[in-house]
Amino acid sequence: MMSRFRPVFEYGVALALLTVAWWYASGPMGIPKYLLPSPQSTVSTLWDSLVSGELWPHLWFTVRNILLGLGIGSVAGIAVAYLLYKMPRLSTFLDGPLVVFQTAPKIALAPLFVVWFGLGLTAKIVLIVSLVFFPVLMGALAGFRSIDSRMHDLAKLLKLNPFSLFWRIDLMAALPGIFVGLKIGAVQALVGAILAEWISGSDGLGYLMTFASATYKTPLLFGAVLLTSLLGIALHGLLGVIEGRLLSWKVQDGR
Amino acid sequence: MITTSGLTKSFDLDGGSILALAPLDHRIEKGAFVSIVGPSGCGKSTFLRLIAGLEDASGGTIELDTGSAKRPVGFVFQDAVLLPWKTVRDNIRFPLDTAGVRRDEGNRIVSELIELVGLSGFEDALPKQLSGGMRQRAAIARALSDDPPILLMDEPFSAVDLLTRETLNDELLRIWQRTGKTILLVTHSVEEAAYLGSEVMVMSPRPGRLKKTYTVDLPHPRGEATKLDPAYHQLVAELRQDMRETE
Repeated sequence: MMSRFRPVFEYGVALALLTVAWWYASGPMGIPKYLLPSPQSTVSTLWDSLVSGELWPHLWFTVRNILLGLGIGSVAGIAVAYLLYKMPRLSTFLDGPLVVFQTAPKIALAPLFVVWFGLGLTAKIVLIVSLVFFPVLMGALAGFRSIDSRMHDLAKLLKLNPFSLFWRIDLMAALPGIFVGLKIGAVQALVGAILAEWISGSDGLGYLMTFASATYKTPLLFGAVLLTSLLGIALHGLLGVIEGRLLSWKVQDGR
Repeated sequence: MITTSGLTKSFDLDGGSILALAPLDHRIEKGAFVSIVGPSGCGKSTFLRLIAGLEDASGGTIELDTGSAKRPVGFVFQDAVLLPWKTVRDNIRFPLDTAGVRRDEGNRIVSELIELVGLSGFEDALPKQLSGGMRQRAAIARALSDDPPILLMDEPFSAVDLLTRETLNDELLRIWQRTGKTILLVTHSVEEAAYLGSEVMVMSPRPGRLKKTYTVDLPHPRGEATKLDPAYHQLVAELRQDMRETE
């Protein structure tokens, strides 16, 4: 029982220490408020804007974009990985270009996406998808390629059609690899969503940051950063829960 | 039941071609329990995989007189090859689910099989929670679940300890007698071959071919008494002699 609460405890201590240091720097140490707002003012700003409701549309905008991009990017990543896995000849052709695209800094391409897809939602989603796609593709490909070939003997014996083979065996067997990619992709999605909002538009936590910094509303800026961090933790936690449910067969028992 | 004529298989290796199975003509009767022994590389597993349709023959024909059965063979691998994300029950159900068998009908069959292979109480366990012997029992139940007329077993008990192996052998005999299936069992053990089989095929390597076939007249049901039977010892000695000659 203790071991279960240990990480919570450790996180708690780290968080408390950080908060105390922040409070000390902004209060007794005397760093000006416009450079470093106090924790109290940050939280109260955040709280006020949550209560007044002006924060919710921004939060929802970012969350929705992340989920949308994560969804599209994952499905596309898994689909392309499966295609490459099923067609080894195709993968010898595409391995090179894929590595180039994978290592290309997508974030640097963000302005290009705006040029191509405009200032609206499309460019934002495209950026997030491009960030999610590659880690999921690589994770899924590793997952598919590590499938026990005897499971395919089984599938052959049972005369499974390609659809059943994918859903009932290949996808399940590749899930551990897919989740490795998905967890990396989720962090990237958050980065991509915020970045896209910096560049254009007037919605989202990223926009809130640029707005706050342009108008010297430092507490709001800090609040938005805080909220983004919390969002990242929540996303990570959510994926952890889903992984725990879907991959409980994989985790070793304590014996 | 199973008739092969001129059945042959060669593999391509480093540009050359290796004959894994020399042309093999053989007939296996319905309801027979055929043990197949031979040293490594004698083509016994290849023979089994050809019958199962897991490999394509390089020449010759296989006829399975199994009528309209959609899946004529059940196969038990050396390791259980259970789907690790499914419980014992769902693994055994898997062939039924993928054949579109009705849920209640499937449940009935699965509980019968769990009873038959002695896995009661472990229905909801995951494969990782089972011992090697229990996993193999689940694999046998899965192979039987959509009631194939032929059961092929490729060294099914080589990964379990001796005591479990003997228990599983007895249970396999019991299952064979209860279900009347045609069983082909590949094994390294001449004792196992003699004890289980109604017929023993001895194969020899380089190239893999059928060397000899024995008809086993040991009375049924077999048990500890069989292992004291001089005829059993005679057969084991002969099989061992055959195996030596093939080395």
